[in-house]
Amino acid sequence: MKSGNSGAAAFQQVLALASNTFKEATRSRVFYILLAFAVCLLMFSSAMGFLAIGSIRRVILDMGLSTVSYFSAMTAIFVGIGLIYHEIERKTIYNILSKPVSRTSFLVGRYVGLMAVLLVNLAAMTVALQIVLSVFGSFTPRVFVAAGYIYLELLILTAVALFFSSVSSPVVSALCTVAFYLIGHTSSALPELLVPFLSSLWAKRLVIGLYHILPDLNLLSINNLVVHEIPTAPGFAMRALLYTVFTVGILLLAAALAFKKRDLV
Amino acid sequence: MDEALLLKGVEKTFRGHLSIGSHHVLRGVTLTVPRGLIYGFLGPNGAGKTTTLKIVTGLLFPDAGEVSILGQGLGDGSVRARIGFLPETPYFYDYLTGHELLTFMGRLLGIPSPRLVERIPVLLRAVGLLGKEKLQLRKYSKGMLQRIGLAQALLNDPDLVILDEPTSGLDPIGRREIRDLILELRAQGKTVFFSSHILADAEMICDQVAILIRGKVVQEGPLEDLLGGEIQFWDVTVRGAAGMVPPPGCSVLTRLGTQVLIRVDREEVLQDLIDRSRAEGASVRGVVPHKISLEDLFMSHVPGEGSR
Ligand SMILES: Nc1ncnc2c1ncn2[C@@H]1O[C@H](COP(=O)(O)OP(=O)(O)O)[C@@H](O)[C@H]1O
Ligand SMILES: [Mg+2]
Repeated sequence: MKSGNSGAAAFQQVLALASNTFKEATRSRVFYILLAFAVCLLMFSSAMGFLAIGSIRRVILDMGLSTVSYFSAMTAIFVGIGLIYHEIERKTIYNILSKPVSRTSFLVGRYVGLMAVLLVNLAAMTVALQIVLSVFGSFTPRVFVAAGYIYLELLILTAVALFFSSVSSPVVSALCTVAFYLIGHTSSALPELLVPFLSSLWAKRLVIGLYHILPDLNLLSINNLVVHEIPTAPGFAMRALLYTVFTVGILLLAAALAFKKRDLV
Repeated sequence: MDEALLLKGVEKTFRGHLSIGSHHVLRGVTLTVPRGLIYGFLGPNGAGKTTTLKIVTGLLFPDAGEVSILGQGLGDGSVRARIGFLPETPYFYDYLTGHELLTFMGRLLGIPSPRLVERIPVLLRAVGLLGKEKLQLRKYSKGMLQRIGLAQALLNDPDLVILDEPTSGLDPIGRREIRDLILELRAQGKTVFFSSHILADAEMICDQVAILIRGKVVQEGPLEDLLGGEIQFWDVTVRGAAGMVPPPGCSVLTRLGTQVLIRVDREEVLQDLIDRSRAEGASVRGVVPHKISLEDLFMSHVPGEGSR
C-alpha cells in the first residue's frame, strides 16, 4: 500500500482537515453570533462618526478600521488558541492522528481552515464598513487594501496562537499571544520613546537592537495611511508580505517541531 | 514475519508538571499477537490497556521498549495506513453526519472518491447504520457512535484492527452485535486486537489473550491453555439427607429443608459423597462441574485477592 506521507497525499489531508475546520466553525452558532456582533459593533462605532466634529468620513474610517482590526485580531487569538487544545480535550484528535496523517499536516490543516474562517469574517466586516461609508457618500476602495493588510496580521497572530497552543495550555497561550499582540503594536514606538532620553550610545543601541528582535505589527498596517489619505511608501507591500511569510513560516515550523513528540493524553 | 503486533518491554511513565506527580503506568509490557486471530487484551480499569493502545497507534511515545506493527516499527507512522483503530468511548465531530465523518476519514486515508462512494454504504450496512448516515453525530446514541467508530476504523480495509473497549457501555444486544462483527473480521482474515475489562465478552470470542495487571502482562496465551480443561470443583445437590454428615473434604454451602448444596474439590471425595448419600437413602439431584473461568484467572492475579 502507498505511504501516506508523499507530498500529494499530505496536501489532500491538509485540504480535508482545513475544510473540516471550516465546517466546524460555520456550523456552530457562536460563529454567527460573533459575526452579527462584529457587524453591529462596526456599524455602531463607525456611525458615531455622524456625531463627530470635522470630517465624518475620516472618523468613520478611523473608528471602522480600528474596530475591524481589533475585533478580527481577538477572534484570531481566541479561536487560534483552542485550535489544537479542543481537539485533544474532546479526543477527536485520536481518530485523526491514529491514521497515516502526520502531525505537521494536522497543524497546517487546522491553521488553513481557521484562516479561511477568518477570511469570511473579515470580508463580512469590510463589506459592512463600506456600506456605512457609502451611506455617507464616502465609499473608499482603499478600505479593501487595508483589509488585505489586516489579513496579513491575522495570518501572523493565528500562527502565534497555534504555536503557543501546541506547547502549552489555553490560558498560557492566550496570555502569551495577547502579549505578542500588544508588543507588536507598541514596539515601533520604543526607539522614538526611549532613545532621546538615553545618554549612553550602548543603551541606545540596545534599545534599537531590542526593537529589531521584537515583533512589529505596525509594519503591516495601513489603517492610518488610509484615514489620512497618505500613499504607502514604495516597497511597503513587498516588505509586509515577506515579513508575514517569514514569520508565519518560522512559527509553523516551531509549532510542528514542538508538537511532533508531544504525548496526546 | 507472522506476528501482527509485537511489544517488547514497553515502558511508560506519565510525569506531572512537577516530578513528584510521576506515574509509572507500563512496566515492561511484552506480548505477541499472531496474525489472523482475535486477541483479547484484558485487565482491570487502570491497568494500562488504553495507554498501550495509544502507544501502538502513535498517540503516545514509549519511554523504552520495542514495538513492531505488521513487521514495521513505529517510525514515520506509515504503517498506520494498514491499521484501523477505535478509541475508547470514541468522540467524533458532532456537527458532522455519519456519512460526512466517513467521507472525511476516507479522505485522510487517501481513499479515492469513487472507491469511497462504493465503500461507505457497505460499511454502514456492516455496522447496522444504513439509513442513519444523514443524521448528525450529536444525535447518535452511545452504541451508534461505537458502530460508526468501527466503520471508520474499517474504511481502509486494515490488516490489523485495534479496538479499545469496543463493548463497554453497550447493552447486551449491542455487545452481541460487536462480537459478531469481530468474528466476521477474523473470517475475513484480519487480526483483531481488542482491550476489555468485560471478561464474558472476551471469553466467548478470543483465540488468545493477555492479562495486564498494573502495567505488566501476567499471563499470555491461547484461551484453552490458560483456562485448561481441568475441573476446579463440583457443586452437588443432595436431597433427603438432613441428618447426613458429609465426608471430609466437602463443604456445605446451603441447606434448604432437606436439600443440601455441597461443594467438593477432589474427584475421590465426589465419589465418596455420592456413595455415602446413596447408602443413607438420600438422592443426588445434581452434580455441576466448574472449570476455571477467565474471571477466576483474572482474580487470582489481582493484588489483594488470594490466589487459589
Ligand atoms: N495523562 C495521564 N497522566 C497521568 N496518569 C495517567 C494518564 N493517563 C492515564 N493515566 C493513568 O494510567 C493508568 C492506566 O490508564 P489506562 O491506560 O487508561 O488504563 P486502562 O485503559 O487499562 O483502564 C491509570 O492509573 C491512569 O490513572
Ligand atoms: Mg482504557
